[in-house]
Amino acid sequence: MTERSDDTWGRDDSGAPVDFDRLETIADRLETNERFERVDSHPAFAPNRVVCVYESAFYPPTVETARVEYIWFKNGDFTIQYHEEHTAGTFDHRWDRHPSDHNAREHIHPGPDAPTPGIDTSHPEDWRDVLTAVLQEIEERQRAFWTE
Amino acid sequence: MEEPDPELQADADERESAPDFDALTDPQNLVRGERTRDDFFDAVLGLDSPATVGDIADLAGHGVDAAREYLDWFERMGIVTQVTESPATYERNDGYLRWRRVQQLQTQYTVDELLSALETERAADEEFAVTFGVDSPSDISITEYASATDQPVADAWEELSSWQTTRRRIDLLERALMADSGTSTDERTAV
Repeated sequence: MTERSDDTWGRDDSGAPVDFDRLETIADRLETNERFERVDSHPAFAPNRVVCVYESAFYPPTVETARVEYIWFKNGDFTIQYHEEHTAGTFDHRWDRHPSDHNAREHIHPGPDAPTPGIDTSHPEDWRDVLTAVLQEIEERQRAFWTE
Repeated sequence: MEEPDPELQADADERESAPDFDALTDPQNLVRGERTRDDFFDAVLGLDSPATVGDIADLAGHGVDAAREYLDWFERMGIVTQVTESPATYERNDGYLRWRRVQQLQTQYTVDELLSALETERAADEEFAVTFGVDSPSDISITEYASATDQPVADAWEELSSWQTTRRRIDLLERALMADSGTSTDERTAV
């Protein structure tokens, strides 16, 4: 088990598999946090994504549910999706790093309806900084539900 | 991110019981784990090429002495491999990560569950091969495929990444189903 394996993917043109190890770390770190009602990994034997459902206490009754979903790939690509269900409608916002012809590799599809094309941007290199920024942005929105 | 529409916001009565956001764990600490060990584990798992002790200390946000100590320990555990002596550089041992995942599959699932998952993934793999018209995802260029099939690059990316993931699962499931795979992870190559 000391061989240099074929498990490294460059940001090449053939895609890369989901990074199960990183998703597991993300689920481990987030699942005990008071922000979330629950954290699910599907399917259990090798998750494709980690789904974090926010505690309803952070939203007024007009918001029925809210969740953030993480997918990370072996080459560093990712897609993170925030979704709210309202009594009348939805809100979606997406942070992406992947090849597309509608945007630069790093971009966002902003709320309320995450349109394509989105907006070119740059995300931090370190996955933990990406996650921090996403969690902070969501918290800002949550706070704004409670201010006049 | 955009602020909520006014009609979604809490009304005056509801605002009385607003959640205490300030009491929440800072996201920055949340994603970093609680221990120095987590910082070093994250640092080495994030390595894509050999790195010096100083590089790894920087990545982890701790001192060089701590880095040396953890790297020593990680090397004994098989998590990293030392590549050069002077200066000392280390790289992530991908074989360890795969071994750990295979162990988890063997502990958490029955042979029947693993076999059934493998069957599902193999069927998916065959479907992808038919869709893409090649034997392996590495034979496909996302941009060329998207243009040839007149679809968005992002859609081609998503589909091809799913195929790569299916291949990855098949490899792990096959290893988990091999007897004694804990010591023979190197005896097979990826399908």
